Amino acid sequence: MMQGAHIPHEDLILYAMQALSEGETAAVRLHLEECKPCRDDLAAVSGDLALVALGVDQHPLPEGARQRFVDRISTATSATSQSEKKASVVAIDTGRPRRKAALWISWLATAALLVTAISLGLQVRSLNEELRRKSEEAAKQEAESSRAKQVLEVLTAPSAKRVLLTASKAKPAPTARAVYLAESGGLILQANDLEQLAQDKTYELWVIPANGQAPIPAGLFRPDAAGSASVVLPPLPKGVPAKAFGVTIEKAEGSATPTAPILLAGAVPTSGE
Amino acid sequence: MQPGWRSIEYGLAATNSRAPLMNEPPSNPGNESPRSIYRDSVHAAGAGDAQAGDELLLSRVKGNDQQAMTDLFDRYGSMVYSVALRVLNDPGQAEDVMQEIFFQIWRNPDSFVQGRGSMGAWLAVMARNRAIDALRRRKPTESVDDVVLASPTNLASEIERNSLMEKVRQVMKDLPSEQQNSVKLAFFEGLTHSEIAARTGDPLGTVKTRIRSALMSLRKAIET
Repeated sequence: MMQGAHIPHEDLILYAMQALSEGETAAVRLHLEECKPCRDDLAAVSGDLALVALGVDQHPLPEGARQRFVDRISTATSATSQSEKKASVVAIDTGRPRRKAALWISWLATAALLVTAISLGLQVRSLNEELRRKSEEAAKQEAESSRAKQVLEVLTAPSAKRVLLTASKAKPAPTARAVYLAESGGLILQANDLEQLAQDKTYELWVIPANGQAPIPAGLFRPDAAGSASVVLPPLPKGVPAKAFGVTIEKAEGSATPTAPILLAGAVPTSGE
Repeated sequence: MQPGWRSIEYGLAATNSRAPLMNEPPSNPGNESPRSIYRDSVHAAGAGDAQAGDELLLSRVKGNDQQAMTDLFDRYGSMVYSVALRVLNDPGQAEDVMQEIFFQIWRNPDSFVQGRGSMGAWLAVMARNRAIDALRRRKPTESVDDVVLASPTNLASEIERNSLMEKVRQVMKDLPSEQQNSVKLAFFEGLTHSEIAARTGDPLGTVKTRIRSALMSLRKAIET
């Protein structure tokens, strides 16, 4: 890099820009300590580089930057002056024998000490309060950050299962299963998920004859708390083939004919169930 | 004194009575080189009030005068921030760099040694160097912070500062694109000459020559 007794101008430029390797930088630094012409050249280069820096587009300071700086130097000044005050207080007590003539100085010193102590106490209290507030803010931010991290981990984990949920049915639909033996007129009905009824209402089961005759009432029933109900062997005529069965809601004493709508209905399968 | 702001008192004389470059004929009264005429003329034209203003403010800062420090901040804060922003391209980091530079001056006003040259120019170089340190996430470098500037230009005057900035911008724009790029990579992106050569594919010597040529062009243009 170096040629002859001095550092090439190009290398001084690179040195000023911190663009040399560590080894080269060390060599230049060593030479500069001994060589005034190179130091002068470096000073000129630095002037040129300042021009380059000054050529950047100018931007206004961020909002509040000035106030932040003013606050910072104010705080630093306050801390320094407090430290100096404390130091001066310590210096007062030299431990030398006190003379009567200087007794008032002791009182003044004591008063100054008290004032300083009070001032320091207030300052410490204020700083402690500030520290406590900052600590709380930091803890809060840390907690929020931790929670945000956890959320991100869950959302981005490859092993996470993704399931789409939709609104479920409001209530299961009522159903009933009937078993009917026409020859003996035997009928058993088991119903589930029935809605509760008012006291003056009842469910009524109907047998719809296959020959087209009017529906035959096959019993009244009310569901239990779970919505279940059953009708077992109601009095029915024998030998009446059924085409279907139905359930209606009727007044409490029942009805001779079904009242629309038919709440539940089921046709008898042609080949039996 | 803060680490990184160590003062090495070499070369101070160069800024008080600018020493000639190695390859420049020594100036002599009545027959000065164009460069020294430029520097002296700028100094004479404005240094008077404004330069004294910087020195006066700095001396008051040494006496813990917050208002003087705030005045310096008002005078150069935007410039320092802009340089740092150009390097870092991040307003938050740029402000950090800017705040730190001024706070160091507040805590240690002697970090700027009078006689090193224009305070504004010194701050501009500091801003660049600190921003590059931040960019590379390294500790502040010491040696290059001991910058001595042979550039007593009047930057304390806002009018003259703006005029100079505009002139520099124009000169930089007029440079060949290869020179502009080399300066950009070295000065604003903090690449070493080897890294620049690797990135551009140019020989090392070419990179150096381009940077030198760019600075020489800039110097000449400003001197005229």
